[in-house]
Amino acid sequence: MEKLILRRVDRNNEEMILNFGPQHPSTHGVINFIVETDGEVLRKAVPDVGYLHRSIEKIGESTGYHGFMPYTDRIDYVAAMFPNEGYAMVVERLCGIQVPKRALYLRAISTELCRIASHLVSIGTMTMDIGAFTPMIHGIRERETINDLIEALCGARLTYNYHRIGGVAFDLPEGWRDKTLAFLDHFDKFLVEFDRLISFNEIYIKRLANVAVIPGPMAVDYGLSGPNLRGSGVDFDLRKAMPYGVYPEFEFDVPVGKGMFGQVGDCFDRYICRTREMGESSKIVRQALDLIQQAPEGDIVAPKVARNLKVEAGEALSRVESARGEMAFYLVADGTNRAWRVRTRTGSFTAMGIIEAISPGLMVADLVALIASLDVVAPEIDR
Amino acid sequence: MMTFTEYAGSFQKTAVSFWHGLSITMSHLFRRPMTVQYPDRTPLPVRDMLPPRYRGFLEVDTAICTGCQACERACPIACIQITLEKDPANPKQRLVTQFDIDEAKCMFCGLCVEPCPTGSIQHTREFEGSVANIRNLVFRWSDPVKPFPVYRVEKGAEYFARAPLGSLVRARLEAARWNAAAVEYLPPEPPAPAVAPVPAAAPAPPTPTNPETK
Repeated sequence: MEKLILRRVDRNNEEMILNFGPQHPSTHGVINFIVETDGEVLRKAVPDVGYLHRSIEKIGESTGYHGFMPYTDRIDYVAAMFPNEGYAMVVERLCGIQVPKRALYLRAISTELCRIASHLVSIGTMTMDIGAFTPMIHGIRERETINDLIEALCGARLTYNYHRIGGVAFDLPEGWRDKTLAFLDHFDKFLVEFDRLISFNEIYIKRLANVAVIPGPMAVDYGLSGPNLRGSGVDFDLRKAMPYGVYPEFEFDVPVGKGMFGQVGDCFDRYICRTREMGESSKIVRQALDLIQQAPEGDIVAPKVARNLKVEAGEALSRVESARGEMAFYLVADGTNRAWRVRTRTGSFTAMGIIEAISPGLMVADLVALIASLDVVAPEIDR
Repeated sequence: MMTFTEYAGSFQKTAVSFWHGLSITMSHLFRRPMTVQYPDRTPLPVRDMLPPRYRGFLEVDTAICTGCQACERACPIACIQITLEKDPANPKQRLVTQFDIDEAKCMFCGLCVEPCPTGSIQHTREFEGSVANIRNLVFRWSDPVKPFPVYRVEKGAEYFARAPLGSLVRARLEAARWNAAAVEYLPPEPPAPAVAPVPAAAPAPPTPTNPETK
């Protein structure tokens, strides 16, 4: 890094080394990019992460097993249900706790609603980075309804802390099912309207098609996951490939980038993957709301989970398909009431790695499109 | 290379795109607005429009607090501080001499509410607590001068009568001005001993120091 900054710059051409960020609105948080430009063309963009590091993994070693759950919200605050679920799953695996069926349905409902909310923010900010302001307002408007629903479900709008080790915290409130179904009916119409509004807007397509193409093999090599990987044409979804929870019971498709207006793996493919995934999530929530009626009521937490949980020495790994890619929790226990090591793998962090490889030859404005299409969230990168 | 037909076609597509986008924008003229004006244009106070599970300020009903300290142990950030002492008048009775909740530190996770045996500690729907001095957000539920005795759970009791949820917090928030002076927890500094002012001495000549002997 230092070498890059201190390198002699040839003054005969228009070469410059610039800091893009860390306080730039289109870097989606506190991320710095050291950008080597030649006029308007990028020579290289090197992400410089670490501005939002809060040592959450270390905190996991000092709080108890239950006490770490609210901290996992802060790993990815745009989609806080996923780290909740991942952490709960890893402790359950380590202790061999059987989660009640109803709790698994509630987990699926809450995480899929959260995925919709997260993708709405993602595509909203992406359109805004490209220059279209209205779609972001539309996305945030729909997300507000989801926030209200989740607030009625668990009491918080952003840092949910809804999942517990062995289940979830609350059952469905009265009338929640009807409200959610009404919202989903409205939301399916909204998706059609959103496609008319911006997705198939000619200017938007021209702006994103064939920009920052990530071929499938390269995406696999760099460890991309989630919609970024599927946008490159690789059909890999943890909900299908390694099903967890109640996902085997649901019928849904995995949208894969097909190069709709350009090459496979361009910014538009990643964008359209997210919009299609919201429709699939909507399907899953509907099915889960139907299936949950067969599960016995009130049975939402596994019995006999000690309040001061002591976990036998061992290690476990859980993998969750988060809105931003694969989220994995790796936990090592040493027999006390505190974890010996908590490690988190997040999708945004691996997405940062590919920027340096993709950036040469892009325009400066296309770097913004690339960052937006990778849907990185700064706290998830640094944790 | 782009042919002339494609070039002209993109003009047409752009025009159609504009029509689609603007027609949706236009349709919003006839839709109900989503925004509300906070705080005085809402039909009800916002706290009454929130769902019952809303996690706002913590409230403790000292009449049914058993002093079990389960909430203190559950709190991941230790923002609850409880001290129990024996009643000097009645050795069998324990008193809660300190029950402080630092609402400024609280992250409203709700973990303290779950283990409470009587439902004494609860989240309320109160959230409007902006104050000028952050120390005023430490809610002291036990008066150190007049500590409250712990509640004894009767055998087989299932329901514990509780003050209306939120009333205790609201009384506290309304009693204090937003810009009240911060509470002083520490005893004041002892007054400095009266010392006769020393006349300013001439500055001592700088003594050369040898870094090797230092």
